[in-house]
Amino acid sequence: MNRTMNLEQRTALTGIGFVTPTVIIIALILIYPIIQSVVLSFGQSSIDGSEPYHFVGLQHYAKLMGDSQFWNALGVTFTFTALSIPLELALGIGLALLMNESFKGKGLARLAILFPWALPTALNTLIWRWMYNSDYGLFNAVALQSGLADRPINFLGDTSLAMGSMVVVAVWKTSSFMALIILAGLQSIPKDLFEAGRMDGMTKWQEFRQITLPLLKGPILVALIIRSMDALRTFELPFNLTDGGPVNATESLSLYAYKVIFDFLDFNFGAAVVVVQFLVIFAMSLIYVIALRNKD
Amino acid sequence: MNQKPRFGLYALVTLSVVISFFPIVWLILTSFKNTAGIYAWPPQYWPDPFTLENYISIFTNSPELLRYILNSFIVGVGTTAITLLLGGLSAYALSRLGMRFAGVLMVGILAVSMFPPVSLLPSLFQNFLNFGLLNTYTGLILAHAGLFLPFTVWMLASYFATLPVEIEEAARMDGMGFLRIFLTIVLPLSWPGFVATGLIVFIFSWNEFPLALVLMTQNAMRTAPVGISLYPGEYAFPWETISTATVLAIIPVLVITAIFQKQIVGGLTAGAGK
Amino acid sequence: MASVTLNQIGKAYGAVTAVEQFDLEIADGEFLVLLGPSGCGKSTTLRMIAGLESITHGDLMIGGKRVNDIDPKDRGVAMVFQNYALYPHKSVFDNMAMALKLQKMPKAEIAERVNGVADMLGLTPYLERKPAALSGGQRQRVAIGRAIVRTPEVFLFDEPLSNLDAKLRVKMRMELQELHGRMGVTSIYVTHDQVEAMTLADRIVILNGGKVAQIGTPREVYDHPATEFVAGFIGSPAMNFMSGRRTGDHWQIIDSDLVLHATERLQSTDPALTLGVRPEHLEVFAPEDAPEGPWVFDAKVKLAELLGADALLNLSVMGQPMLARVGGTDFPLAGQSVRVRIDPARLHAFHPKTGLSIHSEAKQ
Repeated sequence: MNRTMNLEQRTALTGIGFVTPTVIIIALILIYPIIQSVVLSFGQSSIDGSEPYHFVGLQHYAKLMGDSQFWNALGVTFTFTALSIPLELALGIGLALLMNESFKGKGLARLAILFPWALPTALNTLIWRWMYNSDYGLFNAVALQSGLADRPINFLGDTSLAMGSMVVVAVWKTSSFMALIILAGLQSIPKDLFEAGRMDGMTKWQEFRQITLPLLKGPILVALIIRSMDALRTFELPFNLTDGGPVNATESLSLYAYKVIFDFLDFNFGAAVVVVQFLVIFAMSLIYVIALRNKD
Repeated sequence: MNQKPRFGLYALVTLSVVISFFPIVWLILTSFKNTAGIYAWPPQYWPDPFTLENYISIFTNSPELLRYILNSFIVGVGTTAITLLLGGLSAYALSRLGMRFAGVLMVGILAVSMFPPVSLLPSLFQNFLNFGLLNTYTGLILAHAGLFLPFTVWMLASYFATLPVEIEEAARMDGMGFLRIFLTIVLPLSWPGFVATGLIVFIFSWNEFPLALVLMTQNAMRTAPVGISLYPGEYAFPWETISTATVLAIIPVLVITAIFQKQIVGGLTAGAGK
Repeated sequence: MASVTLNQIGKAYGAVTAVEQFDLEIADGEFLVLLGPSGCGKSTTLRMIAGLESITHGDLMIGGKRVNDIDPKDRGVAMVFQNYALYPHKSVFDNMAMALKLQKMPKAEIAERVNGVADMLGLTPYLERKPAALSGGQRQRVAIGRAIVRTPEVFLFDEPLSNLDAKLRVKMRMELQELHGRMGVTSIYVTHDQVEAMTLADRIVILNGGKVAQIGTPREVYDHPATEFVAGFIGSPAMNFMSGRRTGDHWQIIDSDLVLHATERLQSTDPALTLGVRPEHLEVFAPEDAPEGPWVFDAKVKLAELLGADALLNLSVMGQPMLARVGGTDFPLAGQSVRVRIDPARLHAFHPKTGLSIHSEAKQ
């Protein structure tokens, strides 16, 4: 070590050394690609470099604005987010309250509820696709045998049902995650607050409204942020469940971008799509950050 | 104290457990049916005959499905090892070495972790292609490390915050350098934090889809979720093979979750609380 | 062993001053205590000497060598932490041996040294145990032993006794005293406990709000507090303070009928002074036994508390509330009228604005 540097500088240098590998990897994998996508989106080029990059300005964005499939994907993404998040939140709060009670076999119950979240979404989706199957699926078997339906329901092939079917899978998978975060918040509320509430003569419902909910604002907001970021970039769920169908009814923005890039190999136009998606998510996260700031 | 009948509570708990678990049970049951049983009408609720032929068939006819699982395992272990080592060093530096821009860096790391993975695809695919990283373990491990390092740094930094700093100061007085303090003091003292973080990162890596889909284009290099999702069938989706492969692919996650439930839940909620 | 010199040492975090620059010369073998309330800068000062905190102003010399930019391990100092800071995953032996191992000392020599110190501290039976299997007092001994094995030139103690219960604290305090007597190593000791400071210190540095309030022997800081803060901080119960306004050659105590003669000791050009007298320097008499004189006043007992050997009397001395400490055997009870004598030689006086003692000013 260099003796001319002071203690603080030497410590700082060590710190920089420790942080550098992480920063390089994050820069290469997360930051540089976004910048490169912006560059790609303003030009025309080929993947293998046979056609050199030339600047085309806003051409791809103009095309994007006129692409009804893009607007459809944007709408699908927002609809999916707007439908699944409130359901997940409601179920998550319910599950958290349930898990906050003491009962026998709680550990096992919590484990069972955790499983849907822990398993790969892609494979979860396959399981549900199998259960939704209109010819051999579990749901149709139950519906037909019990007389709830007189002919097979096409859960995934019917434009009016596909979105709902997809939302159900998302809610099934992620309510438990919401519940866990809210449960941790619940458990951090000091018990004597409830005891004080009881001394004041609060009913269970008043307790929930006056004590629980206000103190859960933070965890709920955090859970909402994490989940809506996920929902806005949902990919493998429609990819494996419906491949965006029927007639693009479940084609999310991520899936649309993927198809543009890898089915049509249009990297420059695809880059414009992902840049727009990035901006949408960035805007959403800004809104959330402002909301978090204002919560106190 | 409270001796009210708790029937309602148990009914709700049972309902939640059943709803959470029945798709997995249905999957497992399907994997034990023969082809006729799978496509039977009315459907079989219980496999008849109960058969292991799908499992035997995977080992004899579809070894690529086992290869997918091996790939997932290699990528998961590699990703976990790299993120724990590099993320641990970073978290230590950012939380303990009094770096001037530590706060800014932490927030920046959090912000980039919200980037949608699909936004990374055009560029990553091109660069990986040009640098020969497509269809390599190194490539996907690097990509996953990038995706999950922010989470790792945050998790470990919040864990380090719970350790008394005086032990590290005593180590400095004893004559240790920062790297030695990290390896011989911080690491052994915060192993529960490393275990929880490592398990979650392993699960994240095992489950990750878009990057694995795009960066591993050769069939033999695919990870389990991608390989199974893209598994080619002759006519339709071969559900007997798919269900069996899915069972095999989720077993590691099920086992890890079951054994380390406490650590994972603790880690997740601590990470989200920040 | 070595002397320690703080030459205009100070610490600032950006624009915030944590410790205002000051000079201090610690003699070889001296036991110096840094005393003050929490947040006064005493720990920061110690940590600057240890090398755990960078020094933003001034020079730190240990044994005549400037060590500002030298690593903690190379400063020849050893530190005992408040919460012991033992490595929980290592045995007592390894905890004590760590620094020597890192110095690459031969194994046999390490064992000899550690065993010797363990023997001295009564830790021999516990050498193979982990810290978690020790009591608080034993852990503190290990922490001290870890410092001793290094044979440092300077010992640093950061509130080493404050995590112990009251009984153990007294015992460990005496052991520390004895240890210092035996080894004679320069020691710098941080505490907020004035009893520890008074009993252990050769000299005390009293800090308040990042500023040195006074440096002196225990007797000096008790008998001649340099500031109102020191006067109130040293001594228990705390000194009685009252605000006086000059009327002719008297000090009229505000909001009371108490008038004190402005003796030579109480001369000041200030129109107002803060006067102070310690509870133990008030003499309380039954009215019939009281001597006569200008320093004897009427008083009423508001509350009497028996502590054991002593009793505390809450008095109203001609309307001025005061606390007196008297013998615990035969003392007046609440409601009784008494006479109180104030020893004029024991009266302190401070400038109300600066808090500085008018006596120390006169001495300078």
